[in-house]
Amino acid sequence: MRMLQIPWRGPASAILLALAVIGVGACVDPPGGGSNNPPAKPINSDPLTTALPVEVRRLSQTEIDRTLRDVLLEPSAAGSRLLTNDTFTPYDNNYLEQQSSAALVDALDALAADVATRVLADEVSRAAVIVCDPADSNDDACFRTIVATVGKRLLRRPLSADEVETYLPLLAYANEDNAHYETDFDDAVEVLLRAFLMDPEFLFRIEVGSPTGEPGVRRLNAYETASRMSYLLWGSAPDDAVLAAADDGRLDDADARAALATTMLEDDRAKSQLERFHAMWLGYRAIPVPASLSSRFNTETNALIDRVVFEEKRDYLDVFTLSETFLDDELADHYGLPRPTTSPGWVSTAGTERGGILSQGSVLASFSKFTDTSPTQRGILVQNRLLCLPIEPPPPDANADQPPPAEGDAVCKIDRYLAHTASTSCNACHSQMDPIGFGLEGYDIQGRFRTHDDDNVDCVIDGSGALPGFGTFRGPKELSQLLVDKELVGPCFMEQLTSFSAGRPLSIDELSVSEAWHERFVQDGRRLDTLLLDMVSGEQFVTKRDVDVEDQP
Amino acid sequence: MKPIDSKSSSASKTSTTSRRATPVSALPRRTFLKGALGMTVGLPVLEAMLDGNGQLPAFKGAHAQAAGDLPTRYAVVFAGQALGADGTPRNQVRVDNVRGLEENHFIVPGTTGADNLFQAAGAGALAAQVTTPLRALERANLLGDVSLISGLKIPFVRGDGFASDGSDVPSGGAYRDFHGGGCSPLISGTRSTSSNFIANGPTSDQLVQQAANARRGTPRSSLVLRAQPVFYLSGFDFSGREFISYSAGGRQGRIAAQTNHQIAWTSLFSSFVPPDDAGAAARQDFNKRKRLSVLDLVTGKRQKLLGSVGAADKIRLERHFDELRALEQRIAAIPPPATGTCQAILDPGADTNIGGDNAGSNAGSIAENTGYSGEEDRARIMMDLIHMAFVCDLTETATLQLSAFQSHMNVTAIFPEIAAELGRSGLRCRADLHEVGHNGDGENKGQFQVSTMLYWHLRQYAYLLQKMRDTPEGAGTVLDNSAVVFMPEAGHGRQLNDNSSEFATHSVEDMVLLVGGRAGGLRPGRHIPGNGAHPGQVLLRAMQATGYTGDRFGDVQGAFADL
Repeated sequence: MRMLQIPWRGPASAILLALAVIGVGACVDPPGGGSNNPPAKPINSDPLTTALPVEVRRLSQTEIDRTLRDVLLEPSAAGSRLLTNDTFTPYDNNYLEQQSSAALVDALDALAADVATRVLADEVSRAAVIVCDPADSNDDACFRTIVATVGKRLLRRPLSADEVETYLPLLAYANEDNAHYETDFDDAVEVLLRAFLMDPEFLFRIEVGSPTGEPGVRRLNAYETASRMSYLLWGSAPDDAVLAAADDGRLDDADARAALATTMLEDDRAKSQLERFHAMWLGYRAIPVPASLSSRFNTETNALIDRVVFEEKRDYLDVFTLSETFLDDELADHYGLPRPTTSPGWVSTAGTERGGILSQGSVLASFSKFTDTSPTQRGILVQNRLLCLPIEPPPPDANADQPPPAEGDAVCKIDRYLAHTASTSCNACHSQMDPIGFGLEGYDIQGRFRTHDDDNVDCVIDGSGALPGFGTFRGPKELSQLLVDKELVGPCFMEQLTSFSAGRPLSIDELSVSEAWHERFVQDGRRLDTLLLDMVSGEQFVTKRDVDVEDQP
Repeated sequence: MKPIDSKSSSASKTSTTSRRATPVSALPRRTFLKGALGMTVGLPVLEAMLDGNGQLPAFKGAHAQAAGDLPTRYAVVFAGQALGADGTPRNQVRVDNVRGLEENHFIVPGTTGADNLFQAAGAGALAAQVTTPLRALERANLLGDVSLISGLKIPFVRGDGFASDGSDVPSGGAYRDFHGGGCSPLISGTRSTSSNFIANGPTSDQLVQQAANARRGTPRSSLVLRAQPVFYLSGFDFSGREFISYSAGGRQGRIAAQTNHQIAWTSLFSSFVPPDDAGAAARQDFNKRKRLSVLDLVTGKRQKLLGSVGAADKIRLERHFDELRALEQRIAAIPPPATGTCQAILDPGADTNIGGDNAGSNAGSIAENTGYSGEEDRARIMMDLIHMAFVCDLTETATLQLSAFQSHMNVTAIFPEIAAELGRSGLRCRADLHEVGHNGDGENKGQFQVSTMLYWHLRQYAYLLQKMRDTPEGAGTVLDNSAVVFMPEAGHGRQLNDNSSEFATHSVEDMVLLVGGRAGGLRPGRHIPGNGAHPGQVLLRAMQATGYTGDRFGDVQGAFADL
C-alpha cells in the first residue's frame, strides 16, 4: 500500500533556524516521490502517552536468526542465509519497506525445512523441542505437549486447546506404513516445526489488541506487549519468563513492565541488541575493512557502549566523549595509541584528538567513498544520523558517483573538494557537508591519524572543520563535544531510537514524541537504561493507533 | 524419515563437479506417458492426482498446446553495465596507461568509420563484423539467431533547464538523472519523474505473462531471478536497483527476485518424480505431502487472522496469504509430463557463496576477494532453471538480472580469464563493474575493458540461447519459439545529467538491445540501426511476437517493425 504523501520529517526547530540563518533551506527540503512515507497523525495529546500508528511488522533477518537461536537453540542464522537481504533505512526493521513476494515465501519454505531438519539432527536443539518422552510414535499426549510448548514459544502466545488439536493430524506422518521408508515420532515433529515456522504469526508481529475509549486506538494484549518488549530490548522472542509474566497478567501494569524490563536489561541479549542498534544507526554494521580489523573495531565500540550504558550507567552522551577506549595491543598500534597495561584493556585518549565513538575505526570506516575517506559522505553521516537532518540527494546535473576531478592546480584532495565551493549551486548543499568532513580528514579510512593525503606527502591535511551554524572543530573529539554542548546529538539519538522502536521513520507530526522523550531522557540524567524502562512502562508502549485505509490510496 | 532402500532420490544433495554442466536426470518418457494414461506404472502418486477424466489438472493447457501450437517464451537478461567507457570515443583504448586507437571493441559494428556497414541490413549481416562483445555469440555459433538493434534512444529534456519535479519529462522519457532516471523508461516504457529506481508501469515480462495467463486460463508466474545477490558497496543498499520486474507501476508493483539458486530450484523442480525408482518416488511424495500439510495448516488461518486486524494490516497480510496460496498451488501442481526434452534438474546444492562488501571501487582500494559471489556460476544455474522451466512449460516468461543497476560487482577476480579468452592474456582490471564503465582501473581503461565485461554478460546470455537452440521442439527448437532480450543498462551517447558530455556512460542515447529467437516471425541474424527509436518499441515487437496483444508498452506506441 502506498502511504499518503505527506511532508517527510523535518529538522528540529533550533537546527532549522540555524540553517535558515545561513540560507540553505533548500538543502533540507523533503525528498521527492518514491519514498514510502510514514503515516501522518496529529499528535494533539500528551506526546509521551499518545498512541502511534504501527502496522504488522515482519521479523528482520537478524531478528529471525536470534529468535531461532534463542527458542530452538539453532544457531545457523537461517534468516540471513536464506532470505533476500533486508533494506536498511538505516534500520532493518522498517515495515514500510517490507513486502511479501513469491521469493519470500519460497525462501520461508526452504527455511522451515532447513531449520526443522537441523533442529531434529542436533541433540541439544531436539531436546528443546521434544520436551516429553514419547511412549511410541503415536503418543498423542506427548505430541500435544510439544504443540502447546513449542507453539507458545514460536508464535509468542499460548495456543487454545482447539488450536492444539488442529495439529494432531500431523501425527499420521509418524505412523505411515510404506515399503520404502520408515517413519517415527520425529517426522510428525518435523512437520509441526515447519508449520510453526511458516506461520504468519511467527514471521510477523501482528498486534490486534482491544478497543480503548479513544476511537482508533487499541491497547495491546499481554502477549503482544511481551513481544514488543523482547523485540525492542533483545531483538529476539520473549523467553519463558517473559511469557510467564504475560500469563500472569502482569504486563498490563506499568511497574511490572519496568520490573521485568530491568531483568531483561541485565541479559546479554540486551547488550547485543543495543550494539546492533548502534551499528545500524552509525552505519558500521558493514565496513570495508579486513575482518580481523572490523572485529577489533566492533570489540572496541561495543565495550564503550556496554560500559556507558550497562556497566557504569553513565550519562549516555559519554558514548561520544569518554576519553578512554578499549584496545588490544594490535589496535593500539594501529591507531598509534599507547598499548593497554593488559591487552585488551582501557587506554586513555587524553591529550589526543580522539575520544568517544566518533573517533573509533568502526565509525570512521563507514561512509567512505572511492579509494579514500569522503568529506562529503562523512558530512552526510553527521547531518543525517547525528543531527537527524535529511540531506537531499545531489541534483541531477551533479555527477555524484564520480569523485571531484583533479582540475587545474587542484592536486590535493581538499582543493578538489573545495571546487564545490566555486559553484554557487554545488556550494549551497556541499557547504553543509564538506566542512564537517574536512575536520575529520586527519583520520583515514581505517581510523588511523594522518597528516597528509594518502597518495601525496606534499598535501598537508589541515584537519580543521566546521559544523555549519554551530562552530568550528578539529578532529572527532572536538566534533563530539560540539554535538553534545550544542544539544544536537541527544535529541537526534532519541529520534533514532523512537523510530527504531516504532519500526519506521517518524513523521513530522511525531517529532513532538521524540522531543518529549528527550526531555524525559534529560530528566533521567540521560541514563539510557532508565529511559528504556520509562519507555517500556509508559502507556504509549502498550497502545497502537489504527492506520486509516484512506491514508493508503 | 529413514529411507529403506538405498537409491538416491533426485532431491538428495549432489556435489556437482562442475556447476557449468547441467545436472540432469532424464525422466522416463515411457513411464510418464503410461502414468498420464492411468495405467499401472507403480507410481500411485501420479494416479492419485489425476482428475476424473484421467487428465493432469494443472497441465491440461500444456497438453492442449502440445498438440497444436507450441508455447512461446519471452525472457529479459539484464546487464547493469554501460556500453562504452566514459568520455571515450568508440575506438579508443588505454592499456597499461598507453592510449591508442583500436577498432571493433565497441559493441555496435561498423559505427566508427564514415560508412555504416549495416545501413542496408540483410540476413547474415551481423556475422560480417563481429565486435568484441559479440564474440560471445560467435563462439556459441549464435550470430544467426540474434539481432542487434543499435542507436536506440530514450527522450529527455534537451535544454539546460528542466523541472526538478520531473513534470517536463517527455512521454516515455528519462528524468535527467542517471542511473535512476533511465530505469522506468527502459524496463517499463514509462517516463520517470525522479532519480529513484522505480518503474512507473508494468514491465514487459509481466505483460507477456498476463497475456499468456489470459490465453490459457491458468494463472502462472513469471520466473524472476537475480544473479548478483548483494549490493557490495559498504554502507549502502540496492535501493531499488535490484528490481527489473514490476506487475504494476510503483513500489507495490515491485517483484522481488529470487537470488538463491537452490530455493529457485526447489520452487521449480523439487517435486519432479524421479524415474525408475519407486522408493525415491515414494519418499518424494512423502515430503511433498508434508509441505502441503504445512501450507494447509497455515493458509487455514487466513480468515481468522485477516478478520482480526485493521485495514492496513489486512492489506499486508492478504498479500502474504496470497503468496502462500500461490506456493501451495505450485507445490500441488503435478510435474509436467515428459516430452523427451523435459528433464528434472538435480538439486544444485546450497547457495553459500556470498561475497563481502568491497573496500572501494577501483585500484588501490578494491581487493580481489570481495564483491563477487560467483555470479557466473549462479547465473548459469539460474539459466539452467529458466531453460528447463521453458522446456517443461512451467512458465512463459523469465527475467534474469545478471548484475544490478549501477552494479558494484567486483570484476578483479574474473577479468583475467575473460581477457585471456579474448586474446589478451595477462591483462588485469581492478575495479567494480560501475567503475569499469566510467574509468576502468586507472591504468587500463577504454573500450576494451568495458567490452570485456560486456562480453562476460553476453557469454551468459549466449549460454541460455544455446541451451534453448539445442533443444528441439516441434519442427524447430525452443529458441525458435522464443524472444530473449539482452538489455544493458546504459548507452554511450550524450550525458543525461548535463546534456553536454559526449560518449558518456550515463547516457540513454545510443543504446542497444539484442533480441534472440524467432517467435512470431522475428528475423534474427541482423544488425538493425534503430535510428533513435525508443527501446520500448523493440520490446513491444518482441512482446507481440510472444503473445502480447496490446499496441502500447507504457507510454510507447508503435512496435519496431523491422525485427
